[in-house]
Amino acid sequence: MLDQTFAVIVMNVRSIPDRFWMSLVTIIGIGVVVAVLLAFLAMGNGFRATLQGSGSDDMAIVMRSGAQSELNSVLMAEQVNLIATAPGIASDQSGPVISAELYLIVDAVKRSTQTQANLPFRGLSIKGVEMRDNISISEGRMFEPGKNEIVVGRAVLSEYEGFELGKKISLGKAAWEVVGIFDAPGSVFASEIWTDGLTLQSQFNRNNSYQIIRAKLANAGDVKPIEEFIENDKRLNLEVGTEKDYFSSQTKGTGDLIFKIGIPLSIIMAFGAIAGSLNTMYNSVAQRTTEVATLRAIGFSSMPVFIGTLVESLVLSLIGGVVGSIAAYLFFDGLTAATLGASFTQIVFDFQINSATMVNGIVVALIIGFVGGVFPAARASRLPVVAAFSAAQ
Amino acid sequence: MGDLFLVYKNITRNMLRFSLNTFAIVVAFLLLGILGSINHAFNAGIELSADDRLVTVNKVNFTQPLPLGYVNKIKSVEGVKDVTHANWFGAYVKDSNHFFAGMAVDPESYLRVYDDYIAVDEEPKKAWFANRQGAIVGEALAKVYGWEVGDRIPISSNIFSKADNSHVWDMVIEGIFSGKEANADTNWLLFHYKYFIETQTFGNDWIGWVTLTTQDPSLNEQVAREIDKKFENSFHETETSTEKQFNKSFLEQIGNIGFIITSVVGAAFFTILLIVGNTMVLAIRERTREIAVLKTLGFSSSRIFKLVLSESMVVAAFGGMLGIMLSYVFVGGMRNAPGIRNMLPNLYVDSSIIIQSLIYIVILGVVTGFVPAFRAMQLNILDALSKR
Amino acid sequence: MSADVLFELKNVDKKFVRGKETITIFEDLNMTLDRGDFIAIMGPSGSGKTTLLNMLGGVDRPSAGKVTFAGEAISSLSESDLAKWRADHVGFIFQFYNLMPMLSAGHNVELPLLLKKMSKAERHKHVAAALKLVHLDERASHKPKELSGGQQQRVAIARAIVTDPDLLLCDEPTGDLDRATATKILEMLQMLNQEFNKTIIMVTHDPEAAKFAKRQLHLDKGQFVDKEI
Repeated sequence: MLDQTFAVIVMNVRSIPDRFWMSLVTIIGIGVVVAVLLAFLAMGNGFRATLQGSGSDDMAIVMRSGAQSELNSVLMAEQVNLIATAPGIASDQSGPVISAELYLIVDAVKRSTQTQANLPFRGLSIKGVEMRDNISISEGRMFEPGKNEIVVGRAVLSEYEGFELGKKISLGKAAWEVVGIFDAPGSVFASEIWTDGLTLQSQFNRNNSYQIIRAKLANAGDVKPIEEFIENDKRLNLEVGTEKDYFSSQTKGTGDLIFKIGIPLSIIMAFGAIAGSLNTMYNSVAQRTTEVATLRAIGFSSMPVFIGTLVESLVLSLIGGVVGSIAAYLFFDGLTAATLGASFTQIVFDFQINSATMVNGIVVALIIGFVGGVFPAARASRLPVVAAFSAAQ
Repeated sequence: MGDLFLVYKNITRNMLRFSLNTFAIVVAFLLLGILGSINHAFNAGIELSADDRLVTVNKVNFTQPLPLGYVNKIKSVEGVKDVTHANWFGAYVKDSNHFFAGMAVDPESYLRVYDDYIAVDEEPKKAWFANRQGAIVGEALAKVYGWEVGDRIPISSNIFSKADNSHVWDMVIEGIFSGKEANADTNWLLFHYKYFIETQTFGNDWIGWVTLTTQDPSLNEQVAREIDKKFENSFHETETSTEKQFNKSFLEQIGNIGFIITSVVGAAFFTILLIVGNTMVLAIRERTREIAVLKTLGFSSSRIFKLVLSESMVVAAFGGMLGIMLSYVFVGGMRNAPGIRNMLPNLYVDSSIIIQSLIYIVILGVVTGFVPAFRAMQLNILDALSKR
Repeated sequence: MSADVLFELKNVDKKFVRGKETITIFEDLNMTLDRGDFIAIMGPSGSGKTTLLNMLGGVDRPSAGKVTFAGEAISSLSESDLAKWRADHVGFIFQFYNLMPMLSAGHNVELPLLLKKMSKAERHKHVAAALKLVHLDERASHKPKELSGGQQQRVAIARAIVTDPDLLLCDEPTGDLDRATATKILEMLQMLNQEFNKTIIMVTHDPEAAKFAKRQLHLDKGQFVDKEI
């Protein structure tokens, strides 16, 4: 039985070149479907990874309750001072490790489209910068408090015009000098520009208001003490969560949309590819009617014929899946894109294709190959033996 | 019997192949219908925005405020007809998942500026003007939440708070407006600026942006320049553009939707083209002998060419039409899904998409049929008949 | 030589180039053929009898020389004029019937009428007449695969005569049939020749079949071996 199956598989797979164009079309069809699917997965994963990579579990974010995003939140200086006294926040020699931050949106010209886009402009203290782990100045230096100096994220430099080191940019009334460029790999901070919080407040007439507070937690992930503290003080109409949770919730809108549109689209396209695959395989079976019937006549059972045909289809789809995955990897991996995030600001992210997504693509290809092969295989296995003795037509 | 009957008989002789081809084509046109409609819906905001309305926003970014005093200053600029202002409220009801567009406006001037867009009856209009806590809502939004005139609704803001730290404003629905043009988006709510500014805690006498109409669209550029010049070097510099440009630049920020959609539809059509084209080549190759017989009987080469080409045209047309009809059903269903309605209020299969589909049907038919038709035309009777 | 000459072949050459070799089928072939004749062309395979039939039927052309049909040099007609000429003057009958499998017998017979300017009603009248002549009027709606070999060949004959052509060309018309059925088909051809004055040229290697013709011509190595042609 095994020998029989093997013989039929070899016979079928060897005859693929006889149906070269037909088989090629199947492979390309499946490859295109896989590539489109992977493009969407890469986009969604890249977007999610960037936002999730921005948040850490040992950092809390405090903002006005119901605000949902930094942009919507408003905090007054007195609220910041109160939060500084809350339990559950880590301390160092200079007191509780917190950073009150101002978050504005400014217009900047995108290189790709030459149109204006929303760029986040964050005002924070040097302490606030130091609280973030994976931030490092790669060119120039950090801004000095009290001066109109900015440091810009690596992605800002690559995506927008006019942020080269040493350049002066007019934002609002003031001109700001780019004194440094910082790296923030895989995080939204890479698409922000930063300056001293108090300077930003005065330049943008924000008095003593902030958008959010970042606070280092005494115990990673534990925001309970701060939560209770807020609840017990009527002046604090605030909510608190870990930075990680905050950024996960930010992926919802856009990130989910990418998956919600991309996956159904890929499924619909996959059905089209199944139709193509079925056509190829039915044709393959029809072409080999005499051969198959002859095998059956000399004593082969129907199972090897069934498996042989199915394997042919799976081989074609496997090639298609691999080709599609590699093409998607070459074209899309590392591709930089930017879209509006939940805070109405541009988030720059990279398409990400890893081995797991590529495996997904190949699995989808094999599913297409299976469905596209199983019905023709059933037909082949049921071919009447007499077909061997009748004319080919 | 005529040539079309022959075409029909040829198409239906292998029902399995025909069904699979049709299915693949239906898929391609379904994608075209759905994605084309999504793309169209994204751009509808641009198309529906008026040419003679200008928007003045803070030069830093449109999320930055402007002083209320700017309204009167802009009114005095030559060529300006009507001026109004609005504040984005960040409105939602129940929980923050039920958000929608809500704006605090000066009712009388707002309706003047949007006279060509908003249709509201005289009586509710007066009632709204008279009631400080009154609001008018678009019919689409009213339908979603089942609001009727006279309802008192608590509307929350995800941006602003009141002095008592709550962010819920009570509003009374005084009227339901509709769009003057078909397909106009009416998923929004308008309420009194005075009610808003006096109860929120952010500060007084600031506005989100200014909208104005000019006496003539040809004055647009001049007026825009004049306004921005007026506030040059002030603390709040402005940027004035037409509503159309403003909406367009906002959409562009989401990403190049048109490009993504074109790519996916392109990939789908490429695949379907290969599948159907290949099947056609195969189908005609199987009929080599029959075509030779037809030629022997005296059918001219050009007639054979037409017969084969019509075959692929009919297959493309059949699948294509079916796909378009199906996309009607799908898009209709999507339109009624709450999440999608919020993002894409103008989702429907536009006639431009139908025309595009018809053009694609012709292209698909010609491209998939040309090679086999040409081969059939070139077929040598002797070679074809001697093969058996 | 009779007064009513239908076909005339003058100095006809037919050569094929296969690779570097040139294969000569005919060299300086001459023959005339009268209207109303019924000729059986016989000969071993490779003798060129099918090539001759194809040239007479206007599906193949001589390499040199001239084929004249009723005074018209068909060997110099354009491809499309030749197609039209075939539709007007020739009915073909093949060994393997060559019916369209997806069409009914009636529709198969109607096929050549699509090349004529004819109303639907007229076409149906002609089809009915042709099918009646081959005694298949009751099978008009059957598909070829529902008919026996003899019946299929009768449908093919009906298709060949439905346009009322001057000439019937038959390539081994009984090659795929048993003797009794073959006899019926040949009697039918004989009837068409005698009663309807159709000129018939039939290629066959079956001497029994050839007996139904008025005269027999024997081809060998591209030349007629008969004394009188």
